[in-house]
Amino acid sequence: MNSDNDTILYITPLKTTGGKIIGSLTGYILLATLFWVTSLPFAENAEAQIPRERAEVDEPVDNIFWASTNIGLRTVRAESAGSLNSTVKHTFGLVEGGIDSFFGLDDGANTRLGVEYGFTERFTAGLGRMTFRNVVDIHGQYNILRQTTTDSMPIELALYASTGIETLAGTGRSFSERLSYLSSLMVARKFNSLSVQLSPTLGAFNDVTEGNQDQFFGLGVSANYELNDRLALSAEYLPVLSESNLGTHNSFGVALNVDTGGHIFQMFFTGSQWHNEQYIMANNRDSFWEGELRFGFNIHRVFTLR
Amino acid sequence: MIRAVCLLLFLWAGSVGTSTDDIVYYTDEGYAEFHSSVPLDTFTGKSDYLTGMIDLNSGEIDFFLDLETLKTGNNRRDRDMYRTLNVEEFPFAEFTGSLTSDFDSSTTSPQPVEAEGEFTVHGVTRDFTVEGRLQKLGDSLILEAEWIIDITDYDIEPPGILFYRVADEMDVKIEATLKERNRDEL
Repeated sequence: MNSDNDTILYITPLKTTGGKIIGSLTGYILLATLFWVTSLPFAENAEAQIPRERAEVDEPVDNIFWASTNIGLRTVRAESAGSLNSTVKHTFGLVEGGIDSFFGLDDGANTRLGVEYGFTERFTAGLGRMTFRNVVDIHGQYNILRQTTTDSMPIELALYASTGIETLAGTGRSFSERLSYLSSLMVARKFNSLSVQLSPTLGAFNDVTEGNQDQFFGLGVSANYELNDRLALSAEYLPVLSESNLGTHNSFGVALNVDTGGHIFQMFFTGSQWHNEQYIMANNRDSFWEGELRFGFNIHRVFTLR
Repeated sequence: MIRAVCLLLFLWAGSVGTSTDDIVYYTDEGYAEFHSSVPLDTFTGKSDYLTGMIDLNSGEIDFFLDLETLKTGNNRRDRDMYRTLNVEEFPFAEFTGSLTSDFDSSTTSPQPVEAEGEFTVHGVTRDFTVEGRLQKLGDSLILEAEWIIDITDYDIEPPGILFYRVADEMDVKIEATLKERNRDEL
């Protein structure tokens, strides 16, 4: 199809016929054929014909937060449809115990194991269990609004609800008395490398010891700053705005997020050893700002099931 | 001599007129997918942003895909894939070539076709021959093609830190309905 060789083939016989060719009919035909062949568009094959332009895709912003929880607080991150996210969370004892307790690691951890599944791109549900009080939580999240890459929607808005069931044996409590609830409306936005989230949060317990509150209202504040593709710093603060339990403190924590490709590791220092926001608001008795902090880490791994 | 020059001018004018009025077939919403299958880690990347053109008169074919539109259903894996493909520097997978088999545009049944050209991804260009099916329906041209790509041929190596395992050989499939368009509008 390339015309370069064809051109040579036509020219050669033209020259061998000498000067008579221009004036002959054969000459016209050959000359015209030559011109026609060389003007064919496929002489330009193997050259791009369409200007290369990047696609403008209006899709949800990726990785507003890198994992479904920042440190202890839920984030707006929605699992992809068909993806199963598994989470292992550990929060150890107080660092101030020093080398004798290996900076809190010998004191035992409050561990939460959890899984959640993305049923759709907007709806995720799952369950988990933490060591303290053997609380099993069942939760769901619906992302009402998705921040988009073109800013046609500037924010991410998600509703999160969870029910906790204390399964610790021998307490003599009824099923109803073991229940707690959490609801949170999370609004977030990612500004280039910085993501911020506000989470008005309501927690409630069906049964509390005398003198303790059974309802809490807090305002979760979370932030994530991407240092590069692999590392991010994050922080969270959960002040209780309603009346809090005596001796409790607002929870604060800072974390280093590491994306290894398949996993997200979050290594953090936080005041609260509790998981699940209603328990954090009700029971955190350690003050980060007074040096009562503890080490912990979360591991998140997503499996694509369909 | 004057007659010869007139004839050439006439032919030139005719050929210029033909090229500007050329009708080609074009899409920017074709479907492309690749499938990676290794034990316990099988996934498919999909995109609806395949852009391409076929000129039935000349046989020219030109397709490209913005690789960042490929989604595997796991955005962490997507990010690693983009990183591996170095989409910042090499954002497109491209095929430019020409039909090497006959295509009868007067019938509406699918016909097997073959194209030869160059396929480029990750900044590496290789000669490429692909077989597919082409069907003319009204003012549309329907294209389907599948082939296997060995990513090592294109110097694509997942970073060692990557936990997702991918196959060296991946099945690639494209489907596109191309519509008539004037070449000048490309």
